Amino acid sequence: MGFIIECKKVKRTGFIPAFICAGIFSAAIPVINMAVRHKIYTSSAGSPVNILFNANWQVMAMLNMLAVVICACIIYNSEYAGNAMQKMHLLPVHEGYMFLGKFVLMFLMCIAILAIESAGIMFCTDYWFGSGSQVLYLVLKSFAYEMVIMVPAALSALFIASAFKNMWITLGVCVVCIFMATMLPMDNFILSLFPFAMPFQVFAGTAEKTIQGFIAASFIESIIIIIAEFLLIKIRRLFE
Amino acid sequence: MSFISILSIEFKKIRRSKILPLFLLASVILWLPSVFNADINFKMQAEGILPEYNFLIQGFLGISWFMLPASIIVSTVLINQTERSNNGILKMLALPVSTTWLCLAKFLVLLVLAAAQVIIMAGVYYIGAAIASNIQDYNFILPPLFVFKESALLFISAIPMAALFWLLSICIKTPVFSIGSGFIMVVPSVLVINTKAWFAYPVSYPFYVITTEYSKLASGIDTTKIQLIPWIPVAFLITVFCIVLSCMYFGRSYR
Repeated sequence: MGFIIECKKVKRTGFIPAFICAGIFSAAIPVINMAVRHKIYTSSAGSPVNILFNANWQVMAMLNMLAVVICACIIYNSEYAGNAMQKMHLLPVHEGYMFLGKFVLMFLMCIAILAIESAGIMFCTDYWFGSGSQVLYLVLKSFAYEMVIMVPAALSALFIASAFKNMWITLGVCVVCIFMATMLPMDNFILSLFPFAMPFQVFAGTAEKTIQGFIAASFIESIIIIIAEFLLIKIRRLFE
Repeated sequence: MSFISILSIEFKKIRRSKILPLFLLASVILWLPSVFNADINFKMQAEGILPEYNFLIQGFLGISWFMLPASIIVSTVLINQTERSNNGILKMLALPVSTTWLCLAKFLVLLVLAAAQVIIMAGVYYIGAAIASNIQDYNFILPPLFVFKESALLFISAIPMAALFWLLSICIKTPVFSIGSGFIMVVPSVLVINTKAWFAYPVSYPFYVITTEYSKLASGIDTTKIQLIPWIPVAFLITVFCIVLSCMYFGRSYR
C-alpha cells in the first residue's frame, strides 16, 4: 500500500529517469574506457571481471552514490516542499512506513541501476575479452554483492533526507559523507564499514572472509539505521 | 533599487542557512587524514617535492577535483531552494526590481560562498599544518603569501565552473536534473584533464590548475606548462556566455 503511493508521488519529480540516466551513464564508463585503452587491459593478467572492476568500479560506484543521494533528496523534498508532510501527519499512516515505502522504491531503482551496469560489464567481457557466457555467473554474483552493500548507503541517505527539511542541507551533508568515503583508506576494514564507503568495495578478488564480513555489516547497519529512523520520528514528534 | 542593496538583501536571505559550518566540516575531513599520515610526505623523493609543499598540494588536489565543484552545486541549490519555498521568488519577481540585477546578485553570492569555502580550507590548512609540525617535529607551515597565491588560483579557476552550474540551476527547473547534470559533469573531469581539449571543459579547470602547480613544485615530474592561449579566451567566453544566458532566462519559467 505505502509502496504504491510512493511510486505515484515520484511520478513527476524525475526520480525514475534520473536513476535510469545515471545507470546508462555509468554503464558507458567501462565501455568507453575499454574502447580507448583496450590494449592495456586485454594484455594484463587476471580474470576479465577482475580487471574491469579494478579499472572502473571507483567511478561507477561514485555515480551510483550520487544518484542515490540526489534521489533521496528529491523523494523527501517533495514531501517537505508544499508542507505535504504536515498533511501526512494527519492521516492514519505511520511516518516510519512511509520511510520503508520510500526505501523499497529506492532499492528497486538500485537493482535497476546495477542491472544496467552489469549489462555494460558483460558487454565489455564479451566484446574485448571474448569470454562469452562463462563469466556471467561471476558478474551476477558481483552485482548481487554490490546490491547488498549498497543498502546501508541508500538507507542512510534517506535517513539524512528525512531529518532535514531543507533539501540543500541534505545534499550538503550527503556530499560531505561521499567526500569522506573517498578519503578513507580502502584496505582498512573498520573504516570501510562507513555506510557511504561500503559501495566502493569490489567483489572479484576479495577474500571470502572479508566479503562475509561486509555482508554481515550491511545487515547490521541497515537494522540500526531503520531503528534510528523510527526513534527520530518519535523524538521529533515531542518537539513539534 | 541599487545593485548594492539588492546584493545585501541576497546575503540576508542565506544568513541562517548554516552553510559555513558545513564547509568547515568538509575542510576538517579534508585535512584530517593528511595530518595523521603526515609521515608519507617524507617519502616523495621520486617526485622530488619538499614535504611541506607536498602536504599542501595533496590537500588542494583533494578539494579541487570533487569537494569544490560539489559545494558550488550545493550552494546553487541553497540559493534557489530558499526562494522557492513559500513562493518567495514569485514575490521577488513581482517587485519593480530588474531580474538581471537579481540574477547577477545571486551569482555574486554564489562566488562569495565559493570564496568562503576556499578561505575556510586555507584556514584549516594552517591548523592542520601546525599540528602535523608538532607531531613530526618538522616545519610544515608555508609562508602565507604562497598559500594565498594557490588559494586565489583555485578560486579564480573555479569561476567559469560556477557560472556553468549557475546556468544549469536556472535553465533546468527540475532539481533532480539540475543537480544531477552538475554531478555528472564533475565525475569525468579527472579523465578530461589528460586530454588536449581540457580548456573547453570548465569543470576541470581547478583540478588542472592545481595539477600544474604540483608539477611545478616537483622536480621529478615533467612540468606541464599551462597554455594561456586558448585557455583564457575560451574560459572568458564560456563565463560570459553562461552569465548572459542565465540573466536572460532568470525567472522565465515562473511567468
